[in-house]
Amino acid sequence: MLVSFRWLQELCPVDATVSEVARRLSLAGLEVEAMEEKGKDLAGVVIAEVRASTPHPKRDKLTLVTVFDGEDEHEVVCGAANVPDPGGRVLFARTGAVLPGGMEIAARKVGGVESNGMICSEAELEIGADAEGIVVVESDNDALSGTPVADALDLHDVILDIGLTPNRPDCLGHVGIARELGILFGVGYQVRKAAGPQRTFAAGAAFDSDAPTTQLTPLWDSESETVDAPGLYAVSVEIADGDRCPRYGGALVSGVTVGPSPFWLRYRLHNLGLRALSNVVDATNLILLEWGHPIHGFDLARLRGAKVEVRLAKEGEQMSTLDGIERTFTADDLLICDGDGPVAVAGVMGGLDSEIRDDTHDVLIECAYFEPRSVRRTSRRLGLQTDSSYRFERGVDPEAVPRVLASAASLIADLGGGAAATTAIDRVAEPYQARSIRFRPSRAQKLLGTPVSQDESETILSSLGCKIVERGDDEITAEVPSWRPDLRREVDLIEEVARVRGYDEIPTAVPRVHPSETGTAGLLRFVDALREAGVTAGLYEAVNYGFVSPEDLQKARVSTNAVALANPLSEERAVMRTSLLPGLTTAAARAQRHGASEVRLFELARTYEPSDDELPQEHTVFAIALAGDRAGWIGGAAPFDLYDGKGVIQAIIDGLLGRVPELIAGDVPAFLHPKRSAVVSLERRPVGFVGEIHPDVGDDLDLVGRVVYAELDVPALHAIAEELGPSQAQGLPKFPAVTRDIAMLVGDRFTAAEIADALRDASHGLAESVELFDLYRGDQIPEGHRSLAFRVTYRDPEATLTDKRVDKVHASLAKLAGDRFAATIR
Amino acid sequence: MAEPDAVQTFENGLAAIRDAYADALRAAKDEPELRVVNGRYVGPQGELTQLLKLMPKLPGERRRELGQAANALKQEIQSAFDDALQSIHRRAREAELTGPAIDVTLPGRWQMPGRLHPITRIRNDVVDIFVSLGFDVADGPEVELYENCFDKLGFPPDHPATDEHDTFFIEGHGAADAERVLLRTQTSTIQIREMMKRKPPLAIVSPGAVYRRDDDATHSPMFFQLEGFLVDEDVTFAELKGVLTLFLRRLFDEHVVLRFRASYFPFVEPGGEVDMSCVFCRAWEGDRERTAACRVCKGTGWMEILGCGMIHPVVFENVDYDPEKYTGFAFGMGLDRVAMLKYGIPNIKLLYENDVRFLSQF
Repeated sequence: MLVSFRWLQELCPVDATVSEVARRLSLAGLEVEAMEEKGKDLAGVVIAEVRASTPHPKRDKLTLVTVFDGEDEHEVVCGAANVPDPGGRVLFARTGAVLPGGMEIAARKVGGVESNGMICSEAELEIGADAEGIVVVESDNDALSGTPVADALDLHDVILDIGLTPNRPDCLGHVGIARELGILFGVGYQVRKAAGPQRTFAAGAAFDSDAPTTQLTPLWDSESETVDAPGLYAVSVEIADGDRCPRYGGALVSGVTVGPSPFWLRYRLHNLGLRALSNVVDATNLILLEWGHPIHGFDLARLRGAKVEVRLAKEGEQMSTLDGIERTFTADDLLICDGDGPVAVAGVMGGLDSEIRDDTHDVLIECAYFEPRSVRRTSRRLGLQTDSSYRFERGVDPEAVPRVLASAASLIADLGGGAAATTAIDRVAEPYQARSIRFRPSRAQKLLGTPVSQDESETILSSLGCKIVERGDDEITAEVPSWRPDLRREVDLIEEVARVRGYDEIPTAVPRVHPSETGTAGLLRFVDALREAGVTAGLYEAVNYGFVSPEDLQKARVSTNAVALANPLSEERAVMRTSLLPGLTTAAARAQRHGASEVRLFELARTYEPSDDELPQEHTVFAIALAGDRAGWIGGAAPFDLYDGKGVIQAIIDGLLGRVPELIAGDVPAFLHPKRSAVVSLERRPVGFVGEIHPDVGDDLDLVGRVVYAELDVPALHAIAEELGPSQAQGLPKFPAVTRDIAMLVGDRFTAAEIADALRDASHGLAESVELFDLYRGDQIPEGHRSLAFRVTYRDPEATLTDKRVDKVHASLAKLAGDRFAATIR
Repeated sequence: MAEPDAVQTFENGLAAIRDAYADALRAAKDEPELRVVNGRYVGPQGELTQLLKLMPKLPGERRRELGQAANALKQEIQSAFDDALQSIHRRAREAELTGPAIDVTLPGRWQMPGRLHPITRIRNDVVDIFVSLGFDVADGPEVELYENCFDKLGFPPDHPATDEHDTFFIEGHGAADAERVLLRTQTSTIQIREMMKRKPPLAIVSPGAVYRRDDDATHSPMFFQLEGFLVDEDVTFAELKGVLTLFLRRLFDEHVVLRFRASYFPFVEPGGEVDMSCVFCRAWEGDRERTAACRVCKGTGWMEILGCGMIHPVVFENVDYDPEKYTGFAFGMGLDRVAMLKYGIPNIKLLYENDVRFLSQF
């Protein structure tokens, strides 16, 4: 919210610089996010008197104006239509002046005539929105020619931009912030009476005889001239739904003339981000900014039946709001109606038909308290957030209604040259109940960790506007003010005490933490270890958004049965991913486009699966993607293939669990190459899959070349790790091993692993390991065959092996290879 | 039958070999050459080997004597060979040790490690500090119930406090109440889940992904938060200040100064925000010119770093803890923001593009 420092100073003078005020407000929870000084950057712009004006000799729409700037006369070319007659005063930028927008004023020829300076509009000086006409100094301003404009028009101010938290509706107007200043600077704050209107009238027959009224006169600080009551229809106000509208007040101003507001008002609104429209409308906005309490002006003549009724809408009822849009309501929307139908959406926006117009003569000013949740629901349903709904949904002060009405009636009457009724309608459907809260200084002390005395607590609570209704031993009962709906229980008062004293006053201490016996869950630690293992294995960690487009899932041939967002930002991110594949391959494709020759990525994140349970299933998955070439040492790069994926997976799992997983045939996802993929098996259980991406899928995903992709089921791996437990030490062998090689020519239909396993099984327990150390295809090897060479390590744990024994066993292995695999031993 | 000239041949052969072998071995430049020379005498086709094949033709009375001479020569050659080999090895080693150095600038030969994502790195740093203080780590689902994300945390129904949490809702979960399931907007949900599961004392941090419907230059629709909370008897605001001061000093710089401002989050009361003296211009050193020119803190000397407060009694009531008996504090921070500050990352979008050129920088 934008706040005028000048206005604050008028309401609560404190002896402090604006930066000190900003600092204190920020520390107390009213964060000043920005400050802007107004009325500077106008050096060289002064008041000047028009001495003469003649039409431009060549250009129709221009005028030659002679102005006197207190020192000299200057001839200026002016394009505005509202150049005043001689004697009128304007704002004159001398040559050399630099305007706020950065324009430097220099003498220049316009249509052959030299123009020495510029007569300025509001917009050019950034002191208002009007860019059409030049500013003509008001007649009641007695500034002399040559006076700097900032002084003459009293432009000096600093605008604070305060980021208000939603719990502080009391600070949504200048009065509330001034009150806060009074508390923080210890100078106190009393709400002042409004200036009384110049002319009043006795309401008398203006209100329906049943209407409860409130006297405004005591709320004004000056005497007024009493004029005759205008002959108006008697206005009535009825509240049909007291829960939604506990209080509704209406004041009358008669005989106004709608016209432009004076400069000070337009300038203030401009600085606070509102556009000046007309005196009556500007007045309602100024009251909003002053009190933080939205009011609404109805043209009384357009209220049919001189009647106001506050009621819920009928389902489907319609009305056009001020912005010209026809709105349709539900039975949950509160409306202000006249004798015929709706005239305003309660607390949100007025209706088009009853708004203040140029010919408005009599005004009914509404000031009410609407139930916050009701306003919020309607505002959200209509997609219509206004300065009014913003305040009502946070909670305005229900007890402020008479004061706000008095201020508003006085301001509107004076600005419009009308008279205000000395009484206002004040219908209360649900009387405000003040809330009393018990406060224990000992509890505050216990929570804050610093001494809190009863005296100090009382002083602070009183300064907030709390009424101390009871005192006891270590106990204060405070009745909280009507403007602080956020103070609901003891802890709220404790915060107030801490906040007013300043959080910086609280010391720092180090707590005694009771560490838990279980510590962090094993799965979370495992996840961290898995990430580290991925990095150690040479992979870069990717982090992708959890949502993807349904098309991404389709292209990747992964499950399209996805958890869908009801309100996605875009179709690109409309469903939760069912696989990490789309994200990782997008990153890989991106890297390839950037010319990366070697892409090694992993991601450890969740996938989401719809479920009949309360919430969808979330699976923690570890995935890798390899694309491009595995670099050799100085050249010798070779494209990644399945074996790279297998190696990474084996390295990671072996590093974490001390077990090397196997690849076995089995069901793999459709996005993998059918002949170059496998299931990852550990301890005879599937824990994931690895393979090259199916070339068709690779095309759809814009991948270049073979891309290897693997996924591991993290909880499954973790479960195996838990079962295996820590590695157990084994005794070192006491007797030496003997190695023998066996090379064979064998058909492709047998896998290396099944041959190795068979050899080991045939060794009567003597083969400690059987490892493939050579593979050869090519010349002299028949089609469909390959040459495999295994190194067999024999060891007898109980004795030294003799050559004879080894020879015998080794020969039986060779025979087995020949018999079982039709292998030719080489 | 012995042949008289066999003796002659044998003796001549031995003499010829004896005369020649030493020079020949010595002349060999390197090991392969030496082996060739050696083979010329004692290899399978070597001169001496060939000579020995004549043995059966020698007359019986000379056979023994000549045989011994041949064997002696064979041993001499072996010994000379061993010496020559050793000498060649010594010369080669000498040459390597005194000769030109290899080009050490050629690339190393090993699988280089990859990199953790900067968010993971910062999360590990943050988590490590809290674990060292006795906190456990916990997590929870990203797709959450509305009540865990808002109601139980004390967000009043239809209240503007939820405006800052522009929420993604999940389709089709309870059509009657369309906004029942959502993507969590804050990791504070884990406070609720852990408190419902366990009894005090509790000291927990919970990092994780959160989602809000914001996507512009400074907002990402998914980002990472870390929530921490401590619940016990007699936990105080002073201790909250102490823990956060310790934490930020360890994470950034032991000199940083903290400023606690009042603020509002529905689940804490008193609630606050913490500003840290700017670590880019080292604002605590008081160099005003440097701070005035600092683009990170925009000349204020402060940077907003986290939100915090004492856990609201309504939260305790919602999880069946006695708010008179237990007090606690909670705090939360955006890990993205902390990573950006710590690593000087200019744009949040870089964190989610997975550009390898970016990932390899950390």
